[in-house]
Amino acid sequence: MPTIHATDRTGVTREVEAETGLSLMENLRDKGGMDIAAICGGMASCATCHVHVDVDWMDRLPPAEPDEIELVEFTEAYDEARSRLSCQIRVTEDLDGLRLTLAPEA
Amino acid sequence: MPDAPVFEVDPRAFWSDPYPDLARMRAEAPIARVPQLGGAVLMTRRADIHREEKRIEVFSSRQPEGLMTKLMGENLMRRDGEAHLSERRALFPALSPRTVRETWLPLFRERTAAILDDLAPRGEADLVRDYAMPVSAEALKLITGLTNMAAAEMDRVSQGMIDGCSNYAGDPAIEAHCHDCTASIDRHIAERMPRLSAAPDMSAISVMERAGLGPDRISANTKLIISGGQNEPRDAIAGAAWAVLRHPEVRDAAVAGLLGWDAVFAEYARWISPIGMSPREVAQADTVEGIDFTPGTRVFLMFGSANRDEDAFDAPDRFDPWRDTSAAIPFGAGPHFCAGAAASRALIAEVALPMLFERLKGLRLAGEAPFGGWAFRGPLAVPVAWDA
Ligand code: HEM
Ligand code: FES
Repeated sequence: MPTIHATDRTGVTREVEAETGLSLMENLRDKGGMDIAAICGGMASCATCHVHVDVDWMDRLPPAEPDEIELVEFTEAYDEARSRLSCQIRVTEDLDGLRLTLAPEA
Repeated sequence: MPDAPVFEVDPRAFWSDPYPDLARMRAEAPIARVPQLGGAVLMTRRADIHREEKRIEVFSSRQPEGLMTKLMGENLMRRDGEAHLSERRALFPALSPRTVRETWLPLFRERTAAILDDLAPRGEADLVRDYAMPVSAEALKLITGLTNMAAAEMDRVSQGMIDGCSNYAGDPAIEAHCHDCTASIDRHIAERMPRLSAAPDMSAISVMERAGLGPDRISANTKLIISGGQNEPRDAIAGAAWAVLRHPEVRDAAVAGLLGWDAVFAEYARWISPIGMSPREVAQADTVEGIDFTPGTRVFLMFGSANRDEDAFDAPDRFDPWRDTSAAIPFGAGPHFCAGAAASRALIAEVALPMLFERLKGLRLAGEAPFGGWAFRGPLAVPVAWDA
């Protein structure tokens, strides 16, 4: 079970015991009980599952599809070096130790 | 487990103001069958809708026998799963945030400025008919690719389809009018198609053609965009302007740049959601919050009610653009999340509202603004005056 170190918007970090096969968004929301709106339910449509991934982890994640990039690029908290939509990342064992922070709400 | 309890409403009162009934439903019978609304089961709490809308295997958008499918063809909003996704992807380039910013936004500004040039010397107007309607229609002409359609015709065919799709009583005159509206759209598509094929652009019709969608799919999805893309921005522009004019502290802060127009729009869409409801059909038996759902049951997800849920918002009946609206779901809460959300925000919060207050100095209300509707809700007229 990969462990994900997720920091919420108040700066508190939780260790989320993640389930592989589910998306990162589902893990943060359902396993981690984090305050992530994920309004569209993982459709890469609402950008409310935006996270800032620690820079050293960015290259180790599966690359973003064009739809994801286009949506996240236009959010207020966009940071090219760190921004991802957590609903577009499937959790695998390789993500054990991943560190991220929930992006500020728009 | 029991079936949904029955909750009775007076259809006329519900149309003129659904919020008191919805508040009672959330408190007493949050999932209830309403005989006066075609016997549909209404889901009224934010948490239930936010959770259940994602379970498309139970709450399906497929309604092959539904009025919308019969009158407008099977569009992407009435599909689920891969069939839905592939068409959404085909349409995406026309409505993506980048296309909105780079292609549509400058044109929205240009068209809106022209409408204001016309309006400014008059000194008085109905904001619904004279401003919000043409601004919304001009934007939709660009987005669909139907630049050959008059603004008033865009408004007429949109309303005609909406009336047709809610014609549960089967009034033949409403149905005939709806057919006339969809025929007009098909004529306009046929006229534009050769040009768009010769000179492709970012319009919905053109991107769908490039993605390989056939004429039926293009026609059905264009009708969906028109039925869903005209009234809502129109109602949001006129309604938000009215709300701002009724709250001088909001107007002053927004005009001074101390409060973002995006926050004004987000709060208006929460407070009086332009789309109050999205329908589903139960595809397999299931139990939710102790209520049994049987296959074939029509379910209404009441977004307008979710956005006034006391569990999600403090003093939900108050218009307060300074509040946190991130829990609001005016664009839906599942895979059918509004495809036009980025276009709407740009049109309404970056163009229509700021340009209106910038251009018409001393803008003020000049009469009552009656509101109507529960599935779609907005002001019927907003009489205003300004210093011409
Ligand atoms: C204030 C403006 C608007 C509001 C409040 C709004 C709201 C909504 C809502 C509530 C839904 C249904 C979501 C669901 O069932 O989960 C929807 C769907 C949709 N809207 Fe909008 N809408 C607006 C403007 C627009 C515009 C301008 C367009 C197009 C130019 C548009 C195109 C669509 C489409 C294509 C769908 C179907 C998406 C799907 O089924 O995947 N909307 N909208
Ligand atoms: S949940 Fe909506 S974009 Fe990820």
